[in-house]
Amino acid sequence: MAHLILSNISKEFSGAAAVKDFNLEVEKGEFVSFLGPSGCGKTTTLRMIAGFEFPTTGKVIVANEDITDKAPNRRNVGMVFQSYALFPNMTVAQNISLGLIVHKESVEAQKERVNEMLALIHLEGKGKSYPYQLSGGQQQRVALARALAIRPQVLLLDEPLSALDAKIRVALRAEIRAIQRKLGITAIYVTHDQEEALSISDRIVVMNEGKVEQIGSPFRIYNFPETAFVASFVGTLNTATATVIDPANHLLGMDEMQLESTAVTEGLRKGDKIMIAIRPERFSFVSEQRKDNVFDCEIENITFLGSIVRVQVLIGNSKFYMDTFNNPFLELPKIGEKNQIACPKEAVLILKS
Amino acid sequence: MKKRRFSFWSWFVVALGAGYFLVPLIATFVFSLKENIKGLSFVAYQNVFNDPRFWKNFSASVLWSILTILIGLLVFVPTAFWVRIRLPKLRVIIEYITLLPFVVPAIVFVFGLVQTYSHPPLMIVSSPLLLVFAYSILSMPYMYRAVDTGLRSIDVATLTEAAQSLGAGWSTILLRVIVPNIRVSLLSGAFLTFAIVMGEFTLAEWLAKPAFGPYMQYINQMRAYEPAACAVLSFALTWGAMGIMQRIGKGGEQGQIAGVH
Repeated sequence: MAHLILSNISKEFSGAAAVKDFNLEVEKGEFVSFLGPSGCGKTTTLRMIAGFEFPTTGKVIVANEDITDKAPNRRNVGMVFQSYALFPNMTVAQNISLGLIVHKESVEAQKERVNEMLALIHLEGKGKSYPYQLSGGQQQRVALARALAIRPQVLLLDEPLSALDAKIRVALRAEIRAIQRKLGITAIYVTHDQEEALSISDRIVVMNEGKVEQIGSPFRIYNFPETAFVASFVGTLNTATATVIDPANHLLGMDEMQLESTAVTEGLRKGDKIMIAIRPERFSFVSEQRKDNVFDCEIENITFLGSIVRVQVLIGNSKFYMDTFNNPFLELPKIGEKNQIACPKEAVLILKS
Repeated sequence: MKKRRFSFWSWFVVALGAGYFLVPLIATFVFSLKENIKGLSFVAYQNVFNDPRFWKNFSASVLWSILTILIGLLVFVPTAFWVRIRLPKLRVIIEYITLLPFVVPAIVFVFGLVQTYSHPPLMIVSSPLLLVFAYSILSMPYMYRAVDTGLRSIDVATLTEAAQSLGAGWSTILLRVIVPNIRVSLLSGAFLTFAIVMGEFTLAEWLAKPAFGPYMQYINQMRAYEPAACAVLSFALTWGAMGIMQRIGKGGEQGQIAGVH
C-alpha cells in the first residue's frame, strides 16, 4: 500500500471549488512535485495534507492511517514554508529543537538531534545564531532541518525556494533532493517553476483550475504531455490545429501540408479537427539526414538566448519556434529568408482537448 | 544635495507648543518647591512621602495597575491572536468595541457599573475586583491596540502553522512563539495601562477605593504645596513609563530591522 494516499479529495471555499476530485498515491521515499500556475489548487492540496485545511470530501491517508480529520499538530507531517517561518525569538538550535521539546524528548536527545540536523544542512557553527543573522538560503536550510528534526512521516515543501535568488535556488534544490534521498523521506513539493519540478522530482502532478492534468515522471511530462495545458505550461511548445487525413497511417494535414505522427490516433476519424504540438528543439534545418516531416518556411525572427538560438518561422499560416544549439562556427539564417525545417514523426504529439 | 532651509514658522509653532505644555509644568514644579519660605526646598515632597495615606493610596494604585495589566494580557493577547488567525472579519467590530472607552465618559461608565453591580445576582460593587475590571475596560484601547500592532508586525498565521507542524498546541504557540515576538508591544501596552491607572480619579473615587488619583484630590483640599508635588510625581511616573516604553521600543525596532534581510 502506498505511503501517502489522497483519495477523491475536493475542497470548496464559499461554494467555489479550489480542488476537484484529486487522487494520488505516493510511495515511501518518493519525491512528488505539484506543478501549476497560481490558483491551480496545489498549495490548497498541500495544506490539506498538513491539516491546515480540511477537505470538503475525500480522504488523506498516511502510513495506513486516515488523518483526514486530525489536527495539524497531531499528524507528524513536517512543513517548509516559502517565507522560512523561523521563530525570530529563537536561535537556530532552539528553532530546530522546538519540535523535539513538544514531543518531550530528553535534553540529551534534543542536543544530539540538533547537532545531527546542523551537520546535515552544513551549518554546524550556526547553532547560536538568530535567524536575522543568516542569509535567506541558510534560513531555509534551518527551516528544512527544523521540519526534519521531528522525523516526520511526510515532508511538505511549499515553494521553499521562491524567495531566493536564482543561483542559490539551483544549489539549494540539489541539496534538498540530496537530503531527501539520504533520509529516504516521502516529500511533496509545491512549485510553479517547471524547471525546478523537472529537475528535482521522481514524479510531477501538473494541476490546473483545481484538477489534475497529468501525473508522470519529468521525462514523460516534458516529452509526452497529454493535454494542451501541460504542453503549454511545461516548456515551450508549438501548438497548431490539424485535420486527421488517415487515422490508420497516422497522417495529418496542416495548412494544406501533410505530416506524419506516431501518436495514438485511436478513436479519431478522418476529417476530425485535433490539436498537435511539437517541441521547438525537435525541429532542425533540413540536412542530408532524413526527416519524416519537412516544411517550407520563412524566417520571421531570431532570438539569441545564450546556449540556444530561437528561430521563429512561418509555416503556411502558422507560426512555430525552432530551437537550435548555439554554434559560433555556423552562420545563422537571415530574417525573411526562405528555408526548410523538419521534425521526426515521433515529435508530433496529439493533445487531448 | 539640497540644503535644508531654516523655517522660522515651524520652529515658532514647536516653541509655542512646547511652551504650552512646559510652562505650567515648570511653574507647578517651582511652586512645589516653595513650601519653605526661606527658599526653594523639597519639603512638600518630604511631607508627601511621610504621609502614610500617600503610601496606602499609591501602593493600592500600583496593585490595581498590575492586576489590570495581567487581566489585559490574559484577555487581549488570546483574543487578538484568535481574531487575527481565525476570525479576521470580526476585526472591525472588535476595534470599534475597543474604542468605546474613548466615547463613553468615565462618569457615565461608573454610574452604569454602580447601577448594574449593586443588585443581585452580581453584587460586587464593594469589591476591588470591580475597579480592576473597570480599569481593564478603560485600558482596552491601549492594550488591545498594542497587542494588535505587535501581531501585525509578525507573520502570525505562518508562524502558527510552522509551530503546529512541529506538533505544538495552542498554549505552546502562544507562550513560546507569539508572546516573545510581540514582547515590545506588550510592554508598551502594559506601561500605558500603568500610566493611565496610576493617574485615574473618577472610577476609584466613585467606587470608593483607595487610589493615587483620589489622594491627590484629597490633599488638594487640605494643603497648598503638596498637591503640586503630587502632580509633579504623577507626571514623573507617567514620563518614566513612557521613557521605558520608548527605550524598549527602540531595542525592539533595531531587532526588527536587523531581522529584515
